[in-house]
Amino acid sequence: MAGQLHRWTRDLHLYGGLFISPFVLVFSVSVFFLVHAWLPKAREPSAKRVVADLALPSDLERLSGRELIDALQPVLAGIQAQGEVGWVQHRPREQRLILPVSVPGRLTTVTIDLQKRSATIEPRVTGLADALVTLHKSPGPHLVGLRMNWFYMRLWRWFADGTVYLTFLITASGLYLWYGLRAERRVGLILLAAGLCTFAAVVYALVH
Amino acid sequence: MPSSTEESAPAQRAEASGWVERAKLWNRRLHYDIGLMTLFYVWLFSLSGLLLNHQWSFAEFWPDRPQSQVEREIGPPAHGSDLDQARDLMRQLGLRGEIEWTTTRAEATRFDFRVSRPGEILDVRADLARNRATVQRIGLNLWGVTRMLHSFTGVRMDDPRNGRDWVLTSIWALAMDGVAAGLILMVLSSLAMWFELRSKRFWGAIALAAGWLSCALFCVGLRWLF
Repeated sequence: MAGQLHRWTRDLHLYGGLFISPFVLVFSVSVFFLVHAWLPKAREPSAKRVVADLALPSDLERLSGRELIDALQPVLAGIQAQGEVGWVQHRPREQRLILPVSVPGRLTTVTIDLQKRSATIEPRVTGLADALVTLHKSPGPHLVGLRMNWFYMRLWRWFADGTVYLTFLITASGLYLWYGLRAERRVGLILLAAGLCTFAAVVYALVH
Repeated sequence: MPSSTEESAPAQRAEASGWVERAKLWNRRLHYDIGLMTLFYVWLFSLSGLLLNHQWSFAEFWPDRPQSQVEREIGPPAHGSDLDQARDLMRQLGLRGEIEWTTTRAEATRFDFRVSRPGEILDVRADLARNRATVQRIGLNLWGVTRMLHSFTGVRMDDPRNGRDWVLTSIWALAMDGVAAGLILMVLSSLAMWFELRSKRFWGAIALAAGWLSCALFCVGLRWLF
């Protein structure tokens, strides 16, 4: 029974760890960009394109927040500018909506002219580093009512959560497997204590 | 079939000869040791990541945050940059933390800035003409502290004015870098350990490929597809 538990734990640790390893790399590599507030420069915006004769919902001007974004998503799909929509600027005087639409690694500014029923699309490639940072920060604590309005970002939320839950499982199974190695126990305990002490000391100093 | 997590007897270790065997042994040790050293940091960042991504009611801290305000007399701040002056005012007021510039200085006699650290946010509004400073304090509970530790770097991608100016912020940022580097090393060492296990190669490759394909979809694939 104990042998079976050990084998199961070992396999779970191995296969679970291998599955989440690229996700762990995404979160780890992006830490350097976030901690040092540095990103490689984004490329210049690509050529603008204009799409006319948009099929806009009739009640668009009355909508706001998530309802507005949900109403705009089919329009964006129709003009090949899908993505996660951020804060929408509504300029009633100019009868315009300005939408930041992001796909990890690219930010597109879509300006919709409600009167002319046309859209100007201006994509800008922000690169792999920005994609990692975007994914690291998604969904995040901001714009709770608006965010995750694109299917793929909702899917990412599942993967991000899954990475965390699997990390808990893998660290717990790792502890169990390490504790079974008598020869590594003493050094491991010292390192575990060292990690705990430095962690507690820094957190205590920060908080108090 | 030996596995990476099975006991390595001292006799076996003694037999380990050649640099390949030694490298395997050190790789395995590196995996255990980094994992144990960074364990508590990884748990903290994992938990706080979940808290940031979900608005769970049990972890609410902002609506019931304790707030207080005091007004104190201050002396003229020392000459120098805004940072020097802020540091001098913090010394006079007995405040510690990372300085954040939240407003642009419009008048020479007004000097406003924020001092934050996990657990406390202090808004300092100094009237240099009257030699008075108002300090508004916002306290955060354990959930707030946990969330704040996740992103307490002292810098912002979109605001170059704010730089790290508190030694403890620099130490915490270094710890974040260290944990990230440790995790990268752990991933690399785990790949080497897995590859040693011939009987696990097939299913391991399936798990790894599934992980890489799904991750690549988000990192680069979406940009190509849409």
